[in-house]
Amino acid sequence: MKLGTDPEVEKFRADLADFLDTHLPSEADAMPRSRSSSDMPEWARTWQRTLFDAGWLLPGQPPEYGGRNATLPQQLAYLEELARRRIYQSFNPQGLGIIAASILSFGTDEQKRRWAVPILRAEITASLGMSEPEAGSDLAGLRTRAVPDGEHFVVNGQKVWTSGAHDADVLLTFVRTDPDAPKHQGISVLLIPTSTEGVTRRPFASIADPGDLDFNEVFFTDVRVPRENLIGPLHQGWTVANGSLGHERTLLWLSFAERLDDLIRDAPSREEWYATLLMDAQALKLLGYRQLSRGQQPAELSVLKLLGSEAVQTASLRALEERGADALVHPARTGPYSHMNNDAFITSWFERYVRSFAGTIAGGTSEIQRNIIAERLLGLPR
Amino acid sequence: MEFEFDEDQRLLQQLVRETVAKSRPQPEDQLWTMYQKLGWLEAPPVELAIVLEELGYVADPTPFLATATWFAPLAGRLPAGAGTGVCDGAGRFVLDADRADEVALLTRDGVRVVRGPDLRTERVATFDPTLHVAHVTAPDLVAGIPDLTLMGLAIATVGSCRHILDLAVTHVRQREQFGVPIGSFQAVKHKAADMYVAIERARALAYFAALTIAEDDPRRSQAARMAKAAAGECQQVVFRHGLQLFGGMGFTWENELQIYLKRAKAGDLLLGPAAVHRKALLADRVGAAT
Repeated sequence: MKLGTDPEVEKFRADLADFLDTHLPSEADAMPRSRSSSDMPEWARTWQRTLFDAGWLLPGQPPEYGGRNATLPQQLAYLEELARRRIYQSFNPQGLGIIAASILSFGTDEQKRRWAVPILRAEITASLGMSEPEAGSDLAGLRTRAVPDGEHFVVNGQKVWTSGAHDADVLLTFVRTDPDAPKHQGISVLLIPTSTEGVTRRPFASIADPGDLDFNEVFFTDVRVPRENLIGPLHQGWTVANGSLGHERTLLWLSFAERLDDLIRDAPSREEWYATLLMDAQALKLLGYRQLSRGQQPAELSVLKLLGSEAVQTASLRALEERGADALVHPARTGPYSHMNNDAFITSWFERYVRSFAGTIAGGTSEIQRNIIAERLLGLPR
Repeated sequence: MEFEFDEDQRLLQQLVRETVAKSRPQPEDQLWTMYQKLGWLEAPPVELAIVLEELGYVADPTPFLATATWFAPLAGRLPAGAGTGVCDGAGRFVLDADRADEVALLTRDGVRVVRGPDLRTERVATFDPTLHVAHVTAPDLVAGIPDLTLMGLAIATVGSCRHILDLAVTHVRQREQFGVPIGSFQAVKHKAADMYVAIERARALAYFAALTIAEDDPRRSQAARMAKAAAGECQQVVFRHGLQLFGGMGFTWENELQIYLKRAKAGDLLLGPAAVHRKALLADRVGAAT
């Protein structure tokens, strides 16, 4: 254990700071706002491409994929620095963090060239089709079928909660290819361009606002997908799911740490809950750092997600309550505007509180996280 | 920063665990002699925290905690024999004051060290029969709890909480009702998971406090406050769920669960429960800002 900083990491951080100071778009440039997680105004595409070309988009990747072979501590420093400055490196975050990352891990060289690089260069945007009406926490129970037909798969079924789908060019879609196999063993992953005949997308609004259109239902009716769009081996989609979400999960706690820091900044208080907030923020970072030096232990990531998401929720509620009837005002802005960040996180106190449920529901509910902790870390029977 | 034990620290943790587990039936004075010989009292803050966590795990009956974290930071040295310190400004509920060879008193004129037998003390009967606390009568006392004192009690409390969780987990895996182990029920699993998360949170903050003290980082006082508050909060969750998961058996004198429940609860109450330190944390912040 030591507090000190690593010179290699600090050099890396300083290089990044120089780059950001020189290349960050101005507030005026960034006026057209992104309306969904797959909607990228032209300036946001240019920004992402600038990062890609300079090797600052996914620092852990080699230069041909927008990186500089950074170490894990350097990648953490990168994300911390962006969070501290409230900068999004991509306004298609799942395209970058999950879909391109999955293709880079599981795709062929041709697939990397044809799909991953255009996503990384923000030439196209991507959304993730996992959940279905009957497959949420029980994701492996998904039913969208893909049947081989010559050089194609024919896809039929429905996805839901597909963030940004109506603005996306392509969907990374989890489908059932072997209905007779045990449920975890009959899943495959297809890249489905949204322009394909038979793909219908219906955005629906969140609790926050009728104009907040990010969620989608996506219907597939006899959609013909070329076989070459299969990512990873046939029927091995569960491995891809774990691998691709694994990328995201390793550093997911940072997004909760960022929200906690936002609350520390935006809701200073002399009430005791504020001390709890300070402690939660500190503890989450400490456990996150420890996790990094231990390497991949998926069940311990559940501790980070549970602690982080519930701490954000509790503190958001306390901030809301402390303002009493003043918190009824909506829309409102409750934090400093940062043109490189997502506006959703500085809205009214009510909206900030309700958005905290995204943390406790999406990506494995708090209940599922508790099951994982109890079964895998404490050895309780399934 | 690196927030994981290095190789030496891991070996120390393993050694302490093994030593403590092997020596559990030994009488108190033999344990105390052994700890002194092993040099654990001289351990620097992080290593001391490693030792204290394991001593908390077994609800250690010796004056180790008081000597290393109540006497030493006040006096700036270890005592001849057992020691303790008075730092609350009132001399109330002082750990091991009735059996210390030397006592460090924080007074208006600085720290004064006196021989234990020369001091007027009055042992207090508490709910934890292995805990020694006494009231001390001495003039000119002032309050000023050292960071190491808060950290020590925090990590020892976390250790007791870990033992409660281990016992509860063993119990719910074995105990069958409705034909299945009760640990297969989600209501039980979720309580166990909440205990685990509370322990991880408090443990991280306690080691961070130890680390900031070791490196004399400016955050050390705030970190020590956080550690004590978090240990108290952890104990609230772990006590409640731990006893609840044991059912009626946890409510009996013969079950060893009671030993760790009481030690954990005492760890929160001594030197002020969680709420006191949450308030102090905010007051310190406001103080620092002005």
